[in-house]
Amino acid sequence: MSTLSPNWKRWLAIAAIVLVVVGIPIAFTAWYKFFREVDDGPWSSLEERFKYGSIGAEADAGLPYWIWVALPRVFPDLLPRDGQGGWASFGIPWEEGHEMPIGFTKKTVGFPRVANNCAICHATSYRTRPDETPKIVAGGPNHTGNIQAVLRFLTNCAKDPRFNADILMAEINNHASLSWLDKLAYRFAIIPQTRKALLAREPQFGWMNRPNWPEWGEGRDDPMNLTKYFMTKLPVDDTVGTADFPSIWNLGLREGKWLNWCGETPSPLSVIIDSALGLQARPSTVVSQAAWIQEFAVKKRPPKYPFPIDAALAAKGKPLFDQHCNSCHGLGAGTRVGQIIEIAEVKTDNNRLITWTAQAADIANQTVEKLGVKRIGITKPKIEGYQAVPLDGIWLRAPYLHNGSVPNLTELLEPEEKRSKVFYRGYDMYDPAVVGFDTTSPEARRLGFRVDTTIKGNGNQGHLYGTTLPPAEKKALIEYLKTLGPVEGEA
Amino acid sequence: MTVLREGWLKVALLLLLAAGLLIGLYLVSRLTSNSPVVYTDPKEHFKYGSTGGEILNGIPYTIWKTLPVIFQLPGGDYRSFGFLYESGRDLPVGVSKRRYRGMDLVSLNCAICHVGSYRSNPAEAPHYVLGMPSNTVDLRAYYEFLFNAAANEKFTAGRILGQAEQMGIHEDFLNRQILRYYAVSLTRTSLLNFASRLNFMLTNPAFGPGRIDTFGPAKALLNFATDSRMPDTEKIGTTDLPSIWYQRQREGLHLHWDGNNDKVQERNRSAAFGTGAFPPTLDRPNMKRVEDFLLDAAPDPYPYPIDKTRAERGKQIYGQLCANCHGPDGKNFGPHQGALGEVTPIERIATDRFRLDSYTAALAVDQNQLYAETSDPNERFSHFRKTFGYANLPLDGIWLRGPYLHNGSVPTLRDLLEPSANRPKLFYRGDDTFDPVRVGFLSTPERNGRKFFAFDTSVRGNGNKGHEGKTYGTDLPPADKDALVEFLKTF
Repeated sequence: MSTLSPNWKRWLAIAAIVLVVVGIPIAFTAWYKFFREVDDGPWSSLEERFKYGSIGAEADAGLPYWIWVALPRVFPDLLPRDGQGGWASFGIPWEEGHEMPIGFTKKTVGFPRVANNCAICHATSYRTRPDETPKIVAGGPNHTGNIQAVLRFLTNCAKDPRFNADILMAEINNHASLSWLDKLAYRFAIIPQTRKALLAREPQFGWMNRPNWPEWGEGRDDPMNLTKYFMTKLPVDDTVGTADFPSIWNLGLREGKWLNWCGETPSPLSVIIDSALGLQARPSTVVSQAAWIQEFAVKKRPPKYPFPIDAALAAKGKPLFDQHCNSCHGLGAGTRVGQIIEIAEVKTDNNRLITWTAQAADIANQTVEKLGVKRIGITKPKIEGYQAVPLDGIWLRAPYLHNGSVPNLTELLEPEEKRSKVFYRGYDMYDPAVVGFDTTSPEARRLGFRVDTTIKGNGNQGHLYGTTLPPAEKKALIEYLKTLGPVEGEA
Repeated sequence: MTVLREGWLKVALLLLLAAGLLIGLYLVSRLTSNSPVVYTDPKEHFKYGSTGGEILNGIPYTIWKTLPVIFQLPGGDYRSFGFLYESGRDLPVGVSKRRYRGMDLVSLNCAICHVGSYRSNPAEAPHYVLGMPSNTVDLRAYYEFLFNAAANEKFTAGRILGQAEQMGIHEDFLNRQILRYYAVSLTRTSLLNFASRLNFMLTNPAFGPGRIDTFGPAKALLNFATDSRMPDTEKIGTTDLPSIWYQRQREGLHLHWDGNNDKVQERNRSAAFGTGAFPPTLDRPNMKRVEDFLLDAAPDPYPYPIDKTRAERGKQIYGQLCANCHGPDGKNFGPHQGALGEVTPIERIATDRFRLDSYTAALAVDQNQLYAETSDPNERFSHFRKTFGYANLPLDGIWLRGPYLHNGSVPTLRDLLEPSANRPKLFYRGDDTFDPVRVGFLSTPERNGRKFFAFDTSVRGNGNKGHEGKTYGTDLPPADKDALVEFLKTF
């Protein structure tokens, strides 16, 4: 090709200069306003980080902070019926003085964004009397938060015609002094894009929004169906795998054992990785994120039982535990703790068990591998049943059984026909008389979710161990169960 | 000829350009104007200075001035709501003015609730005391008037501008056009919108003068769902307005009637929401001037004779019964003095619990997002707590703070020293004539055609029980009670 004419050269030079002078600042501004990542923290402790620290989900799943703030104020009518206002309506533990509820992270990726971390399901609260600030325990099973309601709220907001820049900006401007540029960004890019993203993810949850489909309610989700429909493109089926959130303290006890209620994963680290991926943590950093989460969970101990324990009675309970419970739940050598007990033996509701298949496990593993994440894979265990969990801090893990279908320990030691068919879960007032939460008072009814054990997946049958003991022995056994640890201060 | 013409054309064009530029500059400077009326004297600033509330929530001066005439309020101004007018002043105490975008806007300020009035007899001119709880202003009636006006067909630009002309209120051409085509309808919409958010409060029992629902507006601001989700027990939070003297010594005490915040600045800014000042618009330097003034603002000394011997006797009793909770005297108080500034559990104090229950844990945590993301990270609210009782307050200037208890349900100090069965079941609020015998304000049904507010203690939220029994002095012999009241006059 012949050389360019001097005229052309001049134009090219001008174009290049314009590109440099105009293009680079624009590109830099765009990067700064939309992609620049600012580390959250520093954290005063691993526990603080567990409660509020990013696990790397903000870039993909982060809601713009000001939209997140504005939503409950613009759409109070879409909050759950038992909600009390604002983000607190979802019942997720929220420490006084803190900007975010537990499990909600705030991190700047271009602009401040809000995502979730493990603590949204794995922090719990309890009270010893109604007129008391709840005590919050990181690593405990969240029994008050309604995660399904959060998911639905976000998509319902996005579907609502009020989700537009005029209305949201009017609310945001009451509270934020956004710069002219940020206002433009919110109005013309961030708000419409957020709406689009929220609407786009609705089909992913279509399976749980089927009419008359069993609700999760407070403190539960459908973990394997969530995994199945998120990580595999398998067709929607009719299984219902509602399950109680587990505690993740003393995670060291689970090393080398089967995890998830039916023992689908043989490694604590893998469970953390898969759960984090479910929260849309960035695959390239998820393994390192999982490491600090695991460190916290291994170190964390449940709190001591907060009411007096009758030591003499508990001592009487110990031999009963050894006789009736230890072979499955004991932490000593030779027990079946962390092993899968066949469904034919434990006889609890089998719905959770059948949500997961070998095919789903294979595809999920391929999906994770494609993301470039190396981990011990998820499986469909050969033995079909529920794994025998360690009972550390069991007093704070009510309601009981994998599906949270038995309100308290007292009822768990009763035969099926004497267990409550209906109760309300989600109120954090502890009831030492039954060893579990208050599930019957008017306040429990107002704040809680009505568990109907006749609904699919909510069956309260099975695990009849100890149910034929004389009442005095049951009392002694329960007294001993209150002491099970290791608890705070113990190794 | 052509040369000449071209020359003229150039000159004309240049002139046009210059004129355009000047007009443009004028418009820019006019439409970016934001200047409050400045008062150099701190007391005048407290009474009339702006907190910034006009910017987002102000009402155009012209509209505000004409409404009482158009809707025929007595006197054609706001005195029938108990607003205090000083001679020679256009605006009443507690109403501020700011020129914003070229138009004068008015809003309320701290003084609307925190300037009170007293006189020795009805014929005497009233004394206005800065920092004293307003005993005359009926803020709810004021807002109801504005809301009703906004909903009325007479709320039109034509009527308002016409009335303004008759009253000699001069707006220039540009502002008249803005009012006609924009500002009147915007004000109307804003008032109706505000009314809908406050709706739950407007259906509560009447407040009467000198009372307000402190956290109802906060719920409205955060747009808490106020339908069936809000239990009836949480809807009523009517309280007596508090005094705001000696703030320096209040730092660290549990402030607000239920002691839900122990940081003065946060408490102030929370209250400033009531003046319309939001995080983006709070006039921080102006607010700081108010706060500085309040640090050492003091009540007026008791203006009538005090029986020294009797007061001395009362001092002994006070030391035994009252000092632990209320501090040694009316001047020397602060945190860590006995139980001063601490919260007495509701079971012990046993006063009406509506106000306590109206402040919920959900509201406390939701307030943590107020003042988030401002230029100063320390501004974010982080000190609100759900409490379970009422706070022990210092008694500075207690003679000016009647009626007593958090809901203003006991008319005088002497009545407060009676068991609740002997306290008046019905009395009248709003008369500022002082009663030096029982210490409080006269209970007057009607004077010169002006009806005062009948306070019925059997109405929900108005209960006059509690703060009684041996430890509260209600069992003392009458002479001792009189002595105690005599001593309290010295505060």
